[in-house]
Amino acid sequence: MSVIGVLTAGGDCPGLNAVIRGLVVRAHENDDEVLGILNGWEGLMEGHVEMLDNHAVEEILPKGGTILGTSRKDPYVHGDGYESVARTLKRNDIDSLVVIGGDGTLRTALRLGEDGANVIGVPKTIDNDISGTDFTFGFDTAVQIVTDAIDRLTTTAEAHNRVILVEVMGRTKGWIATYAGLAGGAQAILIPEVPYDIEQIAALIRRRHRHGKNYSIVVVAEGIEPPEKVTLQKDVFGFDRLGGVAYQLAPVIEELTGYETRVTVLGHLQRGGTPSAFDRVLATRLGAKAADLAAEGQHGTMVAMRNANIVGVPLAEGCAEIRGVDDELFSVAQSFFG
Amino acid sequence: MRIGILTGGGDVPGLNAAIKAVVNRAAEHGHEVIGLRRGWAGLLYVNPDDPASLEEFSQPMDPNWVRTIDRSGGTVLHSSRTHPGKVKASDVPDFLTPPDGAQEPYDFTPHAIDVLEAYGIDVLIPIGGDDTLSYGLRLHQEGVPVIAIPKTMDNDVHGTDYCIGFSTAVTRGVEFIGNLRTSTGSHERIAVVELFGRYSGETSLITAYLAGVDRAVISEVPVDINRLADYLTADRAANPSQYAMVTVSEGAVVEGGEMLLSGEADAYGHRKLGGVGEQVGSMLKEVTGIHIINQTIGYLMRSGSPDSLDLMVANNYAVMATDLAVEGQSGRMVALKGGTYTNVPISMIGEGVKRVDVGEMYDPETYRPNIRHVGGKPMFLY
Repeated sequence: MSVIGVLTAGGDCPGLNAVIRGLVVRAHENDDEVLGILNGWEGLMEGHVEMLDNHAVEEILPKGGTILGTSRKDPYVHGDGYESVARTLKRNDIDSLVVIGGDGTLRTALRLGEDGANVIGVPKTIDNDISGTDFTFGFDTAVQIVTDAIDRLTTTAEAHNRVILVEVMGRTKGWIATYAGLAGGAQAILIPEVPYDIEQIAALIRRRHRHGKNYSIVVVAEGIEPPEKVTLQKDVFGFDRLGGVAYQLAPVIEELTGYETRVTVLGHLQRGGTPSAFDRVLATRLGAKAADLAAEGQHGTMVAMRNANIVGVPLAEGCAEIRGVDDELFSVAQSFFG
Repeated sequence: MRIGILTGGGDVPGLNAAIKAVVNRAAEHGHEVIGLRRGWAGLLYVNPDDPASLEEFSQPMDPNWVRTIDRSGGTVLHSSRTHPGKVKASDVPDFLTPPDGAQEPYDFTPHAIDVLEAYGIDVLIPIGGDDTLSYGLRLHQEGVPVIAIPKTMDNDVHGTDYCIGFSTAVTRGVEFIGNLRTSTGSHERIAVVELFGRYSGETSLITAYLAGVDRAVISEVPVDINRLADYLTADRAANPSQYAMVTVSEGAVVEGGEMLLSGEADAYGHRKLGGVGEQVGSMLKEVTGIHIINQTIGYLMRSGSPDSLDLMVANNYAVMATDLAVEGQSGRMVALKGGTYTNVPISMIGEGVKRVDVGEMYDPETYRPNIRHVGGKPMFLY
């Protein structure tokens, strides 16, 4: 019998609770115990833990959020690194530390592993851009939310003969924009990895409208370069009027096309709510695999999906440079532009 | 008899269901329906002497053509905010010249009536909010038979308790707020949710009431940020999950500020709104030091398929309007009064404004919905 500690760090992501449930139930099958560490790294530094039995994870599968809470604290930034977490690990006889988090959190876990902790990573991001795994849980849910929004906004765009820019998450990589744009039949998709020519996008919209389709949906990843020569207006209190690159693009597209252009920023709606069936299954399998890796003493690893199999890979692979949309996928999306 | 139908102003879920029901009901009576495309714009931009333009702005409809349209939101006839009685010089089509000595904006109502005659329309059914229907009233006064159907996601047309689209808009608001709770709670933040609602705060107030949101800022009551910040800080501390939520109408103002408008005014004198949620969020962050989740629901509120209630009202309004049209009535608006389907003079839309009764439904001190009395109120409380 061994003791597994588990924590969730960083942003909220649909499926976090499903991972915790998968881990807890499988660990008990393996005759291991699980301690939940509250509020991310902060709880590990301050010793806030609670026993997770199977009862504690009943009914949490469909719930968004995380029953363990999360924080943006980091032991190497807000503490003395490994020293600041070693006390909690030792006092609770934690043999394996399962860390559920994004690439930043996984890098912290890797460093703790090098400094002496027995870590196992579970990659978490709705952006799907962590290296070493084909998919991350939460991504499918976010894509479904954006696709639903595109479907709904299409009727509004058509009713008013408008261009609607749908701004989605993706600061450096455009996975959500590409998948949801493809799924929603968007007329153009702008992502950070692929430079765009605003004149070309406008020409494509103009051509489409000339041929009788008087509306267009353009999906914009939040991290694309803003168009040149844009000044943000200030309001009476001196705050910038509306952030978001789509708000900067809209007047430019309106001017170049002559069509009314409106903006919808999906923002936090993309990571809230209940996980999709795909994400529940993926998250549960990742959680169970993490329990198995702990039982086998395979530390310094990360659970991942590779070619539809759930496997353990070196944690360092998940900490490599984040992964962009591949050319094949984006070229398929591009075939449907206009 | 030939019935003309058009949709004006912002789209709402349920418009297509209403169009379908008008076509089917008319067909039962043996009458035909022609759709006028892009709201009142058709009546301005059609040249009655040019068959191509007559075709461009019209859509003949029969039960087969409308069979599937009720399954989606938006409007198959498209919409506009054109007002043929108030036309800017830059919007006047080439084939028209303003009347001698007339001042901008120009009144092209005589031309609009010519267009209706060219289409052979005997009675017109406009579906719209108070702006769109106000021009319906004008045409009625000019002798054109008109039966109006009220729609708006704000539910603010005077003379009826209910307008098509309101229920779905509130349903969407409640649903999205529910989805934002997990993120807001996981990060222990304050969520500021901006909702559509120009001069009236119904959508913010009713959505907050139904979604159990901590505080609601409405267009009618300027908000004191320091007071709101104190309340939200206390709400957050009292919540076991350590978060708080507030809804904000897009037309709301911060005390000492003004309505956030952008762009040029349209033909009805309205400019685009938006940005107050971000503003309130930035100010709350500054005062409280607590991280904010800013979310604008915006166009998503009126997008997508209608809910059952909007399907119900859209179908019944359409049936009632068609029957009135066939009976040869004019100048009526179909309505709900005291829970009962009825019709009222269309002139009622101009005789008052429909707003949240702040004293009855809202506490301006605590920024909370406060429904003092329910008995005797219409289903949606106003």
